[in-house]
Amino acid sequence: MTEPSFEDAQRELEGIVQRLESGEASLDEAITLWERGEELYRLCSAKLDSAQGRIEELARRVEAVRP
Amino acid sequence: MKVEAIEYGDRRVFTVSSFNRGVGDWLSRLPTVWVEGEVTELSRQARWQSVFLTLKDPTDGACLGVTMARGQFDALRLELVNGERVHVFGRPELFEARGDFRLRALSIERFGLGDHLAALERLKRKLAAEGLFSPERKRALPRIPRRIGLVTGNDAAAKRDVLTAITSRFPPARILVAETYVQGPRAASAIAEALREICDAPEIDVVVLARGGGSFEDLLPFSDERLARALAACPVPIVSAVGHEQDLPLSDLVADARASTPTAAARLVVPDAAELSARLERSRTALARGTRGALDRERRRLDVARDHLRRAPLLVLERRRAALEQSAGRLRALSPRATLERGYAIVRAAGKIVRSSSQVASGNRVDVELGTGGFGANVEETR
Repeated sequence: MTEPSFEDAQRELEGIVQRLESGEASLDEAITLWERGEELYRLCSAKLDSAQGRIEELARRVEAVRP
Repeated sequence: MKVEAIEYGDRRVFTVSSFNRGVGDWLSRLPTVWVEGEVTELSRQARWQSVFLTLKDPTDGACLGVTMARGQFDALRLELVNGERVHVFGRPELFEARGDFRLRALSIERFGLGDHLAALERLKRKLAAEGLFSPERKRALPRIPRRIGLVTGNDAAAKRDVLTAITSRFPPARILVAETYVQGPRAASAIAEALREICDAPEIDVVVLARGGGSFEDLLPFSDERLARALAACPVPIVSAVGHEQDLPLSDLVADARASTPTAAARLVVPDAAELSARLERSRTALARGTRGALDRERRRLDVARDHLRRAPLLVLERRRAALEQSAGRLRALSPRATLERGYAIVRAAGKIVRSSSQVASGNRVDVELGTGGFGANVEETR
């Protein structure tokens, strides 16, 4: 399985929270959900922390259009 | 026209005059054209037959000398002054006496803001009729773009403002910047080209087209038809952040979203990282709480079950005792004691209840049981 995007991971995490808060999940399900939720949380945090902002220039273009 | 040359051996040499005449003749065959520029160095003197002026390209300062017959010029009643934008209709000409190339004007029209506005309005109606501005065409912007394209002028302030606004709101932002001309006649096609190039780069999920404030004319390239069409054809969503709030270049209308400030552009293209983190933390807290809730519920259910289990033997016992009591009650109701209480007696001889006098004879010993107590007796006679 490929790693989900931050958005997908966050959406899944919030879905899990909702399911848990509804109180409809059985204990087994709750534990599975919790484990998955923690995994998603770690994934999202890591993405936020590790994502390196980067500014690049499409360098050649000014030269290309200069008269 | 025949251009005369002098032959020196195998070398053909022209006199200045014949050379100029030849070039002038060639130039005069070029078609008449309209040329747009700014009037400078206008000089008109009553003693001259011609009026002279220099047309300047406001973008890069390129110059073109223009002459016009004074009578024609005066007849136009333009009252031109230096700095005005004009359209000159004429043909190239060489002033042979001096070898000066210039434009021989046949007509001059003032081209002002009003003309620009009218042209712009016509274009706007045309593009609107084609549906280029329709709300159905607007695409949703990604919530978290993998990479942001920024097409901006090589004007440091505008570029820095947008970059700062984006990275301060969302530090992990990845941005690819394409600098290009944003002013002058080449700007529209240069911007369109930059847009295409940036869209070809990998992972670009949204493009910001940014240009700081400027005069109406400065922003004209952003209302160019070619650029409008390039924006409409762009495969990724576009945010137009051109000029200020009151400016409404066509790029703002064609783009998927418009922003009047760099901060507004940043708000459109990236989420607030701080808010994102806070939301993530809230999710995690809710996750723990939700799981604990499920555990607690399960625990309570278990407790109830255990209580039931513990009470079960006692219940069985109580139920049995109740059944016993009931039996005992029924038993007591059947007992003859109540009958004895009323004055009857039970007589037993040799342990057996005597029901008939034939069961005993005189002298037999019998036991008599009464409601209370009893006694022994001897049979005296039978009947």
